[in-house]
This record gives sequence, C-alpha cells and structure tokens, in this order.
Amino acid sequence: MREARTRVEPTEQRDRGGKTPAHRHPPAKPSPVLLKAGTSAAVVLCLATALIHVLLVFLHVAPPNPLSRQYSRQVNAWVFPLFEQNWRLFAPDPESVNREISARTMHTGPDGTVQVSDWFDLTAVDNSAVEHNAFPSHTAQNTLRRAWSSYLETHGADDQPRSQRALMIQHYLTNIAAERISGHRGGAFESVQLRVITVPIAAPAAAGGAGSAAAAPTSAETRYLPWWKVTSHGN
Amino acid sequence: METEQSRAPHRIVAFLTVLTERPLSLYAAAVLRIGYGLLYLVFLLREFPHRDEIWGPGSPWTPELARELFDQTGWASILTLSDSRAYFETCYVLALVTSALFMLGWRTRAVSVLFAVVVASFHARAIFMTDGGDNLVLLMAMYLVFTACGRRWSLDARRTRRRASAGKNTCPPTVRAATGLRDSRQTLTSVLHNCGMFVIAAQVCFLYGSAGLYKVQGGTWGNGTALHYVVNLDLFRPWPELSLMVDEHDVMIGIACYLTVLLQVAFPFVLFGRLKYPVLTMLLGMHVGIAVLMGLPLFSGAMIIADAVFLPDRFYRSPGQWWRRTSSRRDAWSAAGDLPRGKPALVPSQLAPWRH
Repeated sequence: MREARTRVEPTEQRDRGGKTPAHRHPPAKPSPVLLKAGTSAAVVLCLATALIHVLLVFLHVAPPNPLSRQYSRQVNAWVFPLFEQNWRLFAPDPESVNREISARTMHTGPDGTVQVSDWFDLTAVDNSAVEHNAFPSHTAQNTLRRAWSSYLETHGADDQPRSQRALMIQHYLTNIAAERISGHRGGAFESVQLRVITVPIAAPAAAGGAGSAAAAPTSAETRYLPWWKVTSHGN
Repeated sequence: METEQSRAPHRIVAFLTVLTERPLSLYAAAVLRIGYGLLYLVFLLREFPHRDEIWGPGSPWTPELARELFDQTGWASILTLSDSRAYFETCYVLALVTSALFMLGWRTRAVSVLFAVVVASFHARAIFMTDGGDNLVLLMAMYLVFTACGRRWSLDARRTRRRASAGKNTCPPTVRAATGLRDSRQTLTSVLHNCGMFVIAAQVCFLYGSAGLYKVQGGTWGNGTALHYVVNLDLFRPWPELSLMVDEHDVMIGIACYLTVLLQVAFPFVLFGRLKYPVLTMLLGMHVGIAVLMGLPLFSGAMIIADAVFLPDRFYRSPGQWWRRTSSRRDAWSAAGDLPRGKPALVPSQLAPWRH
C-alpha cells in the first residue's frame, strides 16, 4: 500500500503542476490509472489480511482440531506474541480450590547458627487487600495467583525445573516471596521456602450431586517447596 | 430465479462500494477509543502506588527476567530499554498522557499508534500479572490503530468542524474536487477502518464463542454449580457477605450458570437481528455483576466496551438528537455563546496550502 502511494506521488505532482484546469477529469490521464490500480491492490490486500487474521485467530482460540493441528506452525507464527489470547474464562470448570501460600526465611548468623522464621501468610495479605475493595489491584489478585499457576505448568510434582522457563518462574516466585517478606517483616535472610496449602471448596450442600463430588478433592493438601536461595533481593 | 442471479453480483458490488467509500460505525469506533483510553488511564492511576512492583525496575519479575522472556517469545517493550528509575517514571507519565490524549481523540491516528505501543509495552513487561481484561485491551488497542476512531466525539472532530464553519460553510469536510490521490487515500482509510471494525467484531464473537464452548465442556457448568465455586474464590470475593448471600440461592446460581453459557454460545448468532439488544443488555448485566461481585471492574469494563461495537450509529446519535430536539432553545443560547469562537478563523489560512 505504501509502495503504491510513493510510486504515484511524483505523477500526481506533475499532474497538479501541468494541467490545473483539467484535474476534474482524472480518468483521462495515465497516472490515475496507476493510482487506481495501486488503490485496488491495497484494498484487496486489506481485505485478504483481515480475513486471514480472523481465520488464524479463530484457529488459535478454538479447541484443538485437525485443521488447527495441521496449520499450527502458521497459526503460531501469525498470532504470537501480539495476538495471543485465551478465553477459557472459568472454563471448562472454575477453580474449585483456594490456595494459601505462605513463606518462611532462613538466616545463617555470623557464628554459624541457623535461624528459621515463622510462616508468613502471603495469601492472607492479598485477601485482606481484596476484601471491601471495589477495585482491587492486580498485585493482590494476579501476582501470586498467576505466578503459582505458571509454576504448576512448568514444574512437575517434584519441583525440578526442567526448562529455562521453569527456572525463570522459580526465580520470580522467590523474588515475590522475598520482597513481600522484607517489605512486611524485614530482617536478614539468605533463602526462602514456600508452603502451598490447597483447600478445596466444598460442593454445594443442596446439590450434593454426583457430578460435582468427583470434581474436587475432599481434604486440604499441603505442599512444601524446596529452600531457594535469595539471589537478587536478599537483605 | 433470474432476478436472484442478477441481484447477487449487484449486491457484491454494492457491498464493495460501501466498504471502500464509507467508514461504517464511526460512533462505535469512537466509543471504543474513549472507552479503552479511559479504562487504561484509570488502570494506570489505580496501580500508581504499585507501579514499580508491576512494571518498574523493582518488580519481582526483574528487567533481566523480562528481557530473557522476550528473547524466547519475540515480545518487546519500551520499558526494558533501561533499568533506570527515572526512565521508568518518564514512561509512566508518557503512558498516562497517551491514554488521556487517545481518549480525547487528539491527532488520533498518531496517538493511537503510540497508545498501542504503550499498552503492548506495559502488557509485555508484566505478562505474568495480566488477566483476560488486559488481554482484550491489548488486542483492541492494536486493532483501533487501523480504524478511523477519531472521526466522532473527539478533539480532531471538533477541529474539523471549526475549520469547516470558519472557512467554507458549503464545503463538506472531504472536498469533492479533490485530486485522485486524496480520493485513494480516502478509499484506503475507509477500507482499513472497515476491515478493522470487522476484525474487532469477529474478535468479540470469538471471545464469547470460545468462552461458551469451553464452558460447555465443563461438568460444573452443566450441573449448574460452577458459580458456586466462583463466588467462593477468596481472591475474587471483595464483598464476602454479598457472595455468601448469592451462594445461598442455589436455584438462582443454576439459572445464572445456564444463562451465562447460553448467552456466550449464542452471542455470534444473535448479532444480525433484533435479538441482539436483549442479549447485549443481559451481557451488560452479567458484566456489571462480575465487576461488583468479583472485584473485576477492569475486566468487566473491557468486555462492556467491546460489546459496544455492535450498536449501530443511530443508537449513539439518538441521545444527541433527542437532546437537540428537547432543548432547541438552549441550543440557540449556546449558539450565541459560540460567537467568540470566531478565533479559530485563523486556522483556515494555515490550512489553505494543503487544500489547494
């Protein structure tokens, strides 16, 4: 489209300078033909791009199917990163658990004694920031929640980072915990440990259906993560 | 049958003519511009106390981590160009100003590009802190670059109007005796705009369609208990008493579950008839409910603004027309008050070389 315009501009100027009175009849001159061709090409390009974009975005958001599997390379090349999207909003099922994420720190004194702090409930801080707030911050609703779900996606059950991405997320979680603890409690520490308690939401009492009972585990689960060295923000 | 056959090509020609000659739904585009500009401005102001934690050099998602991720994903952001705090604060001010100017429609095309860069930069910098609302704002900011969203309800429109009234009253804003170049520019603007609006509309349909289709696959939506779990999520329960109250009405929750799925799945199919008005109204109610009950005003706002793309120009113009009809006397008053506005009469002389 830009090409068309730059190609046309010189003729346009000549046209303007030379035959001012006749410029009401553009079809009579050769330059408007070129201009018209360029414009039509641009119109076709616009339409084609819009249609292709819509098609590829559809393949990206739709559940995996033979077509999207066959063209996954093209779809990904077009969609990532700018048009990446995911509309599985509370779907297929909303989370049926609340997670309580706590952290504690370890400090080795100059004489070699090791001090381990009490647990500090990070989630409780977030929850109280959300409560009675009409416009909660992303830092309360999204930071820890999404960091932890990303951790679950990138790590196995054994907390071994098997990819660069997993390592980055682990680093991220460490930083979140370290910064929040030093912000609230202060004190010196060299490593942190996270504890995640997963509390299932009870199925509705009235429904008590067979379908919902299968969806959620019945008792709380506690997961201790390994001690992680605080690299960037230790005090 | 013969008439049918001869009509089809006519229709295609008519369709192409409209597509290339006239930007459609200019008011809806303006609503999207104002809406997303305002939403982002409010968002940036709301997160002002947390700005360093989310996007700044002091974020737990450190600039090094962000850059490392950009290398893997192909993202980019103006925020990671420097780790200095002063640079970050400058970017933040730039983002605030850009959002405000975009909302007001000042030099809209250029500012819309800047707005898209700002939104993409902030999104990419804090990608692990975003939710569906942020994602939608990003997509819309990108698409709005292609639309003529500054033609209505904007500072640009006001300037054009003043020029027109101060200069030649008989001349429409687009001078008919324009050269071929300007004609083709107008064609391109129209096509770009119409394609942009089409993509926005399709995007919203995909959003609802896929949200609905994924929900259909879920057992809790099927047995009508999904919302019970939603209202019990601690992080999305700013008013626990209210959530508890909602949770007690399990029949209502079941109905709301089914209605949500039905609305979302049906959304793309009702847009071409009268049925879209009740459906859009119900979606509006649903989003207001989400905003209040779950403490997600940003997400809901983004969705509500996106829905506005489906309302026709006559819908947006009717309040103004009604206002003009009922207060014509006041109009006469303000017209008298307009006289001092003669000041911009200077403008046409500046414009003159461009117009010849």
